[in-house]
Amino acid sequence: MSVPQPLRGRLAIAAGLSGLLFVACSEPRRPELSYTLSANSKQLLADAPTAQAQLLGTLGMLFGSPADPSYAVPEEWIDDERNPNSGLAEMSEARQAELVAANQRAFATAIAHVEKGEFALVAPAREALDLQADWAPIRAGYDEIAAGVKKGTKTQADLDKYVAENKADALALFTDWYPSLRESAELYRTQCLHCHGTNGDGKGSTAPYLSPAPRDYQRGAFKWTALNDKARPRRADLYRVIENGVNGTAMLSFKRFSPTQLEGLVDYVRMLSIRGETERRLAGSFDADEGFKIEAVQEEYLDVWSSWDKSDAHVIAYDGEVPASTPEVIERGRVLFNDATGANCVSCHGVKGRGDGASAMEVDPETGKPVLKKDDWGNQLSPRDLTGGIYRGGDRPIDLYRRLYAGINGSYMPAHSTIKDPQGNRKVTDEDLWAIVHYVRSLAQGKRL
Amino acid sequence: MSLLNPSNGWWTALAVLVAALLVLVTFVKYTRLWLVLLIGLVPVLGVWTFVKAPEWGLWFPEDVSTHGKGMDQLFYMIMWMVTFTFVLTEVALVWCVFRYHEKVPGKSLFTHGSHKLEMIWTAIPAVALLVIAFAQIGTFKRIKFENHWPTGGPYSAQKPIAHVIAYQFAWLMRYPDENGSFDSVDVVESPFDFVVPVDTDIMFHLKSRDVLHSFFLPNLRLKQDAVPGMTIPMWFKATKVGEYDLICAELCGWGHYKMAGKLIVKSKADYDAWLAQKRAELKSNGKADLSNMEEGQ
Amino acid sequence: MSPADSSAAPATAPKHAPAHHPDAHPAHEGPLGIAPAGTVHVSHDHHELGFIRKYIFSVDHKVIAIQFMLTGLFFLVLGGLFAMAIRHQVAWPWKPIPGMGLLFPETGGVISPEFYTMLFTMHGTIMIFFVIIPLLTGAFGNFLIPLMVGAPDMAFPKLNMFGYWAMIPAIFFAILGFFVEGGAAAAGWTAYPPLSTILSAAPGSLNGQTCWLMALTWVGVSSMMGAVNYVTTIVKMRAPGLTMMRLPLSIWGLFISALLQLFALPVLTAASILQLLDRTLHTGFFTPSNLLVNSVRPEAFQSAGTAAIDAASGGHPLLWQHLFWFYSHPAVYIMVLPAMGFASDILSVHARKPVFGYKPMVYSICAIAGLGFIVWGHHMFTSGMNPALGMSFMVATIMIALPSAVKVFNWIGTLWGSRIHLTSAMLNALAFVSMFIIGGLSGIWMAATPVDIYIHDTYIVVAHFHYVVFAGSVFAIWAGIYHWFPKMFGRQMNETLGKLHFIGSFVFTNGVFYMMHQLGLAGLMRRTADPYTYTTYAHLQECNELITICAFLLFAWQIFFVINFFHSMFWGKRVGRNPWKANTLEWDAPSPPGHGNFDRELAVYRGPYEFGSPEVAEDYLPQTRKLGDGAGKPAPAHAHH
Repeated sequence: MSVPQPLRGRLAIAAGLSGLLFVACSEPRRPELSYTLSANSKQLLADAPTAQAQLLGTLGMLFGSPADPSYAVPEEWIDDERNPNSGLAEMSEARQAELVAANQRAFATAIAHVEKGEFALVAPAREALDLQADWAPIRAGYDEIAAGVKKGTKTQADLDKYVAENKADALALFTDWYPSLRESAELYRTQCLHCHGTNGDGKGSTAPYLSPAPRDYQRGAFKWTALNDKARPRRADLYRVIENGVNGTAMLSFKRFSPTQLEGLVDYVRMLSIRGETERRLAGSFDADEGFKIEAVQEEYLDVWSSWDKSDAHVIAYDGEVPASTPEVIERGRVLFNDATGANCVSCHGVKGRGDGASAMEVDPETGKPVLKKDDWGNQLSPRDLTGGIYRGGDRPIDLYRRLYAGINGSYMPAHSTIKDPQGNRKVTDEDLWAIVHYVRSLAQGKRL
Repeated sequence: MSLLNPSNGWWTALAVLVAALLVLVTFVKYTRLWLVLLIGLVPVLGVWTFVKAPEWGLWFPEDVSTHGKGMDQLFYMIMWMVTFTFVLTEVALVWCVFRYHEKVPGKSLFTHGSHKLEMIWTAIPAVALLVIAFAQIGTFKRIKFENHWPTGGPYSAQKPIAHVIAYQFAWLMRYPDENGSFDSVDVVESPFDFVVPVDTDIMFHLKSRDVLHSFFLPNLRLKQDAVPGMTIPMWFKATKVGEYDLICAELCGWGHYKMAGKLIVKSKADYDAWLAQKRAELKSNGKADLSNMEEGQ
Repeated sequence: MSPADSSAAPATAPKHAPAHHPDAHPAHEGPLGIAPAGTVHVSHDHHELGFIRKYIFSVDHKVIAIQFMLTGLFFLVLGGLFAMAIRHQVAWPWKPIPGMGLLFPETGGVISPEFYTMLFTMHGTIMIFFVIIPLLTGAFGNFLIPLMVGAPDMAFPKLNMFGYWAMIPAIFFAILGFFVEGGAAAAGWTAYPPLSTILSAAPGSLNGQTCWLMALTWVGVSSMMGAVNYVTTIVKMRAPGLTMMRLPLSIWGLFISALLQLFALPVLTAASILQLLDRTLHTGFFTPSNLLVNSVRPEAFQSAGTAAIDAASGGHPLLWQHLFWFYSHPAVYIMVLPAMGFASDILSVHARKPVFGYKPMVYSICAIAGLGFIVWGHHMFTSGMNPALGMSFMVATIMIALPSAVKVFNWIGTLWGSRIHLTSAMLNALAFVSMFIIGGLSGIWMAATPVDIYIHDTYIVVAHFHYVVFAGSVFAIWAGIYHWFPKMFGRQMNETLGKLHFIGSFVFTNGVFYMMHQLGLAGLMRRTADPYTYTTYAHLQECNELITICAFLLFAWQIFFVINFFHSMFWGKRVGRNPWKANTLEWDAPSPPGHGNFDRELAVYRGPYEFGSPEVAEDYLPQTRKLGDGAGKPAPAHAHH
């Protein structure tokens, strides 16, 4: 009891506070965002931790990290002057001009400030990290002279001169901006990551509560494209989904970002997809005895790339006018819809198109109870209820036609163009498809949600 | 908001910090002086920030509607009344703190109140409040009551320009077919973009598929919750061609902050062309998709 | 020895050690020392209680009050931490938040959008139901009512104990929400259906919302027990001579807010049970039929399934809004009427002047409560409610500003010609008046229906209710703690620390909330996790950064209060019965009062605010002090009941 009572209290409080402070400071160091191996690869390489590290390292070489993503450029591409890191080169000149116009709209405020010489008021977009970095030196030079003007060591004329010299460069920065993968990854981090996950595997923190589940890009399979043969999506397909969203799902429209930013997102989504596919192939080719084949890496990488390059050839279009929707056509469509030997839509979608057909379910081998069938990603999937008028891949007749023609990638919806009779003729002709399309659309007439 | 702007120098921030420390150290000793200054600063800074706010961009966004005028006028009317009361009461408070301190010799004024004063300061605010209450009725009526809506235009509550459907987390605008029918198979759907003609009385129906949402157009001073199970007719008139934010203003889930849309006000000719083009797209045979150009319109 | 003499001579008091000392009252002496014979209100309960019975399962209103206070202060810190995370996200969206690395290791401490919705939902819930209401009615109501009406304890002490212990399940469920699948409730503190009733509509609606409803129901039970007790005690147990019109305004505030709880709370409890039924049994009180919710995922929602959505339930979401606001608007007055009472008392005591216009003050409290029942619809001007109904709510809402204005004018009247002692309690009470003016006046915009169409759910609303509830009620709570701390613990809080705490809190509170008015005018919506991707909001980030920095400073500043509170509790300066030289009855009891509160007979001769009376030499005249003949007799009404 040598310590006087009030002091003892103060000491006790001080000890408590420093304890709190200690706890507050002892938070583990914040890790960087990083790519990880997919569940599939981990399962395939479960017994080979070294191979896991090798695979992750290889992928790191090919695709970089979330903080700095970039493709490895094969030698032959260098000769061809092909740069996979920017989607801009793949676009038509008209599209490039559109993006310049879009930049002029999106950066209208910044551009107006630049033109008036008010460099201090210019603020590049939040996610545009490289644009910020490019703008910084111009701004720094301006600030230095502006400070000089304040102190009296420089004159307004100096400032005007600096502005005049740099105005063209500054304007070009904004009008010609096209996001690098790094900038798109940053936009992806803030807008997409919590559903689609860092790796693009559809396993973000919000994902467990979403139905349908967010798309897992890693298979390279996408449902809502205009393409046949399960081809890899074109830029336009991905762009359409990001721009308009998918009706009836939690995938919303990102139109509030500029077209340039959305094209950048397309680049990054494609990269995550190519990365995922490469990973799947490499993990699949792993052999317990021989390990990875180094020479296979580049081969697989280029192969994946090539499957993405050929998509334009698979666009489904119909030669001729879209047939008009008449009562006779709709009635014909109804018959075809219910024709068990032909299109057989009824088996999954049900007689009334409610998505409650008998084939929608399968028996769970463990519980013996009927459950919904699963799609390629392992998510339970119910056939579309056609009476609500919610068409995820677009609501134009041609969009529905494409669903019927090519099926839906990854799901049980078959490609009706491939159903053949014994003579090798199409069982469901184009005319039939249009009749079904019109019947399906009529199911939701006046009842769209 | 120059305080945080590094171009104005961290010296400003440092000066503020030093001043703050000075206040702290001396506050315990010179409590009354500082309190008079602090409470005195409340009306001064309070009014000053309101005066400067438009300059900082912290003020109403541009008004492009016919609703906005009445609403803004009412806002300013209340603002002047409120500012008067605010300054009056705060100054009286500061005066009391400044004048009536413990060192003044003698006892306090021994009074339990004044009937007359109570009457005065009940009656005057009562009249002012009644003025506010009655002043707003006209504006509210014009916005909300269907029987006070303008007639004679191409649209009405029974014949809306579009159905605006809210769902987690998007806006979907559904336009009628050529015959004005929403029950047709050929309705036009426009995700995200609510396209309307300028200088026209726009009536539309607001619906929700799942939870509560709220249709908020800051530039048109218009807000209405979308309630599942209800169809709510609304109207506005946009007076300037342009693109304006459409924002969800009622919590609708984790993606609430993402639930954006755009009000696109076009000239009448442009609007008609847009709608015709959307209708034509329904007849597309997909040839246009062969070129990447399609998305760029 | 006359009561006045003893209160003027605090030297007699310190022999009563603080209440938490187990050996404070030797068994042979009894807790009060020697009880004078013939007292009406003194307890004869002399047997000694063990630690558990005395401090944990106590039926003593003072111990229960302190339990409520410590619980409330703990939740104030928790709710404050939530607020800090919210502010961090709003100022720097999707940047790592210090400390969140523990919860979100994959993203390095960047929170997810659904966690953001949980943060603001639980911030609101905790601050209202676990901080402000328990502190005002639970802590101060319990502590002050028996002491200020001169009663030995509450009318129903065991019910009172149950009132606190009903908080425990509430706390349990509120915390549990964070640990169930899907996380805590995420439908806002208003829990609007169908977001809250459809299990798949939001992650937090999966299980967290059920926890939230359970918590709310238990809080309601707790408040109800308290309210029954307060009303009964005030009506039936007043000391002889203490007529209703001689009650201190704190008691009036607590009395009327207890009545508000009695009449309004059953509606909320019923509504939350209905919502619970909607969620568990898939009834359809609030859920309309024919909904299509995107995020129904069969695996995750096996039992919830599609049943709740497909059912032809035919309910209406607006029904919940009506029921919820029928309680929650009066709840706003529950959160401010006692605060107004404290402010009146503290202004009067520390300004040494009678409250100006006692009767108008009482009438305006009653008017606020009465009108408070018919203004709930002003939360629903844009909800789709019939606009004609909106009109009538508008008129009632506009008129409720009147009694509030009268109170402000009377507070200023109280200060006019006074002798202000700038103690910590007084500083906080003055800040309350100064900032309640702001909060009250900005409400007029919200009451104006056309203006409300624009500002509804924007930051100007956030500014408004934080000015009322934080800058108003919390400052009044601080004032109350500084003022009544000596009575609670027999020790005074440190004035230097108190003043330091005040100045920072005052400056930073305004720094946080004032600019929110302008943000709201710029159209910024509340509950928006990342506003700056909208062109309308893109330029608002700087202002939000400034606000967030002020918020961090405000939170950090409370360390002065925490140190002061706990240090003074154990080692503060000892004081006597009446350190402030106040008039009301609680200052007649020892500090701290023992079990049974008063150690001598009480008789009340006058109102509570006789400061500066010419009848006596001192500048105060306690309610119990008997002057010579003709100086006021105890009213007979309650003397011989």
